[in-house]
Amino acid sequence: MNADLEKALENYLLAMGDDELILGHRNSEWCGHAPILEEDIAFANIALDEIGHASVWYSLLAELIGEDSQSYPDRLVFFREARDFRNAQVMELPKGDWAFSMLRQYLFDVFENKQLLALSGSAHRPLAEAAAKIRTEEVYHLRHTAAWVRRLGLGTEESNQRLQSALNELWPLTSQLFVHLQDQAVLVSGGYVPGGEKLRQEWENAVVPFLEECGLGVPETGADGDVIIGRDTHTLHLNVLLTEMQSVARLDEQATW
Amino acid sequence: MASSDTQWPRFQVFLQEKEGAAHQDVGSVHAPDPELALLNARDVFVRRPDCVSLWVVPADQIFARTAQEIAAGALHEAKKSGKPGSNPETYCIFSKKKSAGTQTFVGEVEARGPVEAMEQALAKFAGAKPPFAWLVFSQRLIVSSTPEDIESMFAPAYEKPFRLATDFHTLTEMRKIMAKQKEEGT
Repeated sequence: MNADLEKALENYLLAMGDDELILGHRNSEWCGHAPILEEDIAFANIALDEIGHASVWYSLLAELIGEDSQSYPDRLVFFREARDFRNAQVMELPKGDWAFSMLRQYLFDVFENKQLLALSGSAHRPLAEAAAKIRTEEVYHLRHTAAWVRRLGLGTEESNQRLQSALNELWPLTSQLFVHLQDQAVLVSGGYVPGGEKLRQEWENAVVPFLEECGLGVPETGADGDVIIGRDTHTLHLNVLLTEMQSVARLDEQATW
Repeated sequence: MASSDTQWPRFQVFLQEKEGAAHQDVGSVHAPDPELALLNARDVFVRRPDCVSLWVVPADQIFARTAQEIAAGALHEAKKSGKPGSNPETYCIFSKKKSAGTQTFVGEVEARGPVEAMEQALAKFAGAKPPFAWLVFSQRLIVSSTPEDIESMFAPAYEKPFRLATDFHTLTEMRKIMAKQKEEGT
């Protein structure tokens, strides 16, 4: 693999890992606070899965650049500053109400299912294998969050309103999931990762009819509200999140856990 | 359901560890409907991976009695208040051998109601040593996972080991600290 391709793949893996980590962390904030005990356990399980997936992507990244796949992920998670994270902004928003978190997770689950399906055929074998394995877990996530979106959408007036508010806020930010990284083109043409536009079409074809079935109005795509944000641009929410998440590890950088 | 009860309906959960094994009662979950009950049951009870099939059944539709209660006339009592259906249907029969045991699937009978199902179970499945307790419900009430679900619902747990207490080196570290303190006379 030539240097440019390797660098591009490195950036892609970092973005995937950061998406999973930040979203997983936000989901974990529901632990002890979910509306019902069983959901507390269920959503904590989903959060654990996401963080586990982050670990997989970071390990692949480590192997690619010759770092130790055991310790490098921890360095990435606990000792980077906010400006060096490459997650999409939608992941770092606070957890909001249950409708917000369920909908965010649903929109991401559909995206991930399609992305992982495409990645299962990646020209980079370790990536293809990891994607195929992770996808089996994501199938379950999607079943869970879709069930919730349906029940909230078709539930009471309040649940529908809260879900609609969540959709209005989340929808413009989802476009960032499909925007190519700066050097992604060479990965797409080389058969390493899927193209963003194709993924976006597949994703919209799945979520729009479903959301409408659930009694929601889907905002217009490509309207003025859609701002193209780079993954190196973050809100203050990420700073707050990292301050908390990294606080214990940073107390003593040399400690073994 | 009392108006002060804000919990959702309860579903009893039955789990089959491997192909050919009997389903076992593992507990219950609250859920608004059977589909979410099944999903929640997976998250609450299938943390350890040995599961190929999961059933959820509305808890209030389950008829359960101990051998002691039956001996004291529980089935006669139940017959008085219950009304048997007109058509026979398949009932799943569970029993447990001891008070501390787990309700385990033993077989099926055809009956027109839970009481008749239990009477038949007594005749058909009591064996040399009659079980401590019985549990029956109509098969049509089962909401079940499918074999296709194994890959996404149960199998992933094999990749997620628990961190056991022995994985932490706390004791070793403590001993080192205490030995050092002893050495230094602190």
